[in-house]
Amino acid sequence: MAELLLDVQGLETRFKTPEGIVHAVNGVSFTLSEGETLGVVGESGCGKSVTMLSCLRLIASPPGEIVAGKALFLGQDLLKMAPEEIRKVRGAKISMVFQDPMTSLNPVMSIGQQMAEPLLLHMGMNKEQARKRSIELLELVGIPNAADRLKDYPHQYSGGMRQRVMIAMGLSCIPQILIADEPTTALDVTIQAQIVELVKRLREELGMAIIWITHDLGVVANIAHRVAVMYGGYIIEEAPVKELYANPTHPYTLGLLGSLPKINASERTRLYSIEGMPPVLYQKPQACPFAPRCTFVQERCWKENPALVNITPTHRVACWADTTSGSERL
Amino acid sequence: MGTYIVRRLLLVPLLIFGVTIIIFGMLQFLGPIERSALYVRDFPKNDKQIQGLIKKYGLDRPIYEQYWRWLTGVKDPISGEREGGVLFGDFGYSRTASQPVINIIKNRFPNTLDLALWAVFPMLSVGIWLGVQAAVHQNGWIDQLARIFSIVGTSFPTFVFGLLVLIVFYANLQWFPPGKMSDWVSVLLYSGDFKQYTHLLSIDALLNGRIDVFLDAMRHMFLPILTLSYINWATFVRVTRSSMLETLRMDYVTTARAKGLKESVVINKHARPNAMISITTLAGMSVVGLLGGVVITETVFNYPGIGKAAADAAQQLDVVTILGFAVFNGLILILANLVVDIMYGIIDPRVRLA
Repeated sequence: MAELLLDVQGLETRFKTPEGIVHAVNGVSFTLSEGETLGVVGESGCGKSVTMLSCLRLIASPPGEIVAGKALFLGQDLLKMAPEEIRKVRGAKISMVFQDPMTSLNPVMSIGQQMAEPLLLHMGMNKEQARKRSIELLELVGIPNAADRLKDYPHQYSGGMRQRVMIAMGLSCIPQILIADEPTTALDVTIQAQIVELVKRLREELGMAIIWITHDLGVVANIAHRVAVMYGGYIIEEAPVKELYANPTHPYTLGLLGSLPKINASERTRLYSIEGMPPVLYQKPQACPFAPRCTFVQERCWKENPALVNITPTHRVACWADTTSGSERL
Repeated sequence: MGTYIVRRLLLVPLLIFGVTIIIFGMLQFLGPIERSALYVRDFPKNDKQIQGLIKKYGLDRPIYEQYWRWLTGVKDPISGEREGGVLFGDFGYSRTASQPVINIIKNRFPNTLDLALWAVFPMLSVGIWLGVQAAVHQNGWIDQLARIFSIVGTSFPTFVFGLLVLIVFYANLQWFPPGKMSDWVSVLLYSGDFKQYTHLLSIDALLNGRIDVFLDAMRHMFLPILTLSYINWATFVRVTRSSMLETLRMDYVTTARAKGLKESVVINKHARPNAMISITTLAGMSVVGLLGGVVITETVFNYPGIGKAAADAAQQLDVVTILGFAVFNGLILILANLVVDIMYGIIDPRVRLA
């Protein structure tokens, strides 16, 4: 079995807002092994980005605060590291690519300057070496005329090109983990496909593990080995990708998959939608956070929050109801 | 960058046209006797002289003709000398000060420039530094302090603050006198031993190697500088703080942190240059304010700058002089805007390369 890279246990993150304390992440546990790609899916505000940002302690504090849990990277707790220690991990061993390439590059610094930063910082390169390496990296992610484009500024790149730059920058120090936080959401569909293919190719060439955060189930099916579904600050279902799509078990997962348009569906079929809105959690939920929207809701769901339990050795789910008979019931 | 500057430069004549049109329009509210001060020193004494002036300088001609004459001057048919002509730096005569307006500007502007030069550094550096610190330590003690300071500074008028420090540091402590220089320095200036290279006293003192003169100049300028800095700090802290807070929330700041950069690098290299874009405008306007003469501060401290001269002229209803200063101020404003635009280009590649 491949080596365990990241072992997150019971992570809890809160935000102090004028309206009260928002419990964004409420005890999330997951693991990531070498070379593995974990897809994290869920609606906006379900805590998927906050979970990953918390692991690297990139949550703005205040208002954010990590109140409990561990994030073991190769056995060392990222949450307890000294600031200078975690800075050696960020960008070097674990790097991130963000959602909106239009805003995640600094508009007043040239691409070359921004690309060189992690190389100078973590790889001990001098400026000339960093420049050469930056050109190689830009070529690797498919930017034409890389040498000339290094002196250009972000506004001279298109959205897809900027995301390629972000990926090149994220991979520049050959990290062991790449966290991609909805990297295709802000891009149009053809560019999305290109970016996904690019990351798959780079994964094969460089062999890093990937955490791919998205709300696009199609993309996850294409790239991930294993999928974690998040809702209300919890992982509510986790399984290998094929298993999850074949045997979705949590009512929320069923709903998500049911709401996908099917290519062979008859013309008249209405697209399924999950009624209601995802919760903003001002209290840590005592009941199942999905209960108000759940079609399988039982009395117990209003009293106790189900824990994530294994239903097969690789498939975990947090639900009191028995929905194992499959998605036909919807 | 070159084409960007050229484009900005092409705007300058247009702006000058706008400024002069407005000021010329204001001049039209004056009668021919007052307007004749644009060309001649003395008040006309009788009807015959008045008629003569009106005819000679075309004060009854159509307005566009008068505008052109005001801009370019009138050639005296006998001596062949040009009289008037704003574009040639002749703003007319100040009949209350008994000298050409341009001479007042020449005499007084170096003093204002001297003051501005020494006020601008503490003003910008401390104001921006404090604003950045307040934003970085949002809701910390330095932020609370900066906010209180900013509110007090905004709501505490210059003349009150100026008088207050004058009472404490001059009347009570005798540390920092008002005016521009001590008597022995003015004696020295007239003696001819002191070469006036720039007419900026503090700079000339340094060029002459006279530390004692320099210290005397500083002693006189200290309170005005303090007053000017204090009111500007209040604004700079507020604007820098909010601009910086906004920048610190940007995604690229998170990107910079995610690269493993030190917090000081994130703030100084990634966040601050972006925050500076909005601060540049304010800085430009503040410098224009300083160069145009700070009327209240110069008056309170009896500092012989251009603001004090403007206040004196206004008290004597010398409109031609005031409007002469207005043209001069307008030109400074245009120049400062040009500098700010070029600064934008340097800071922000989106402006430079657009």
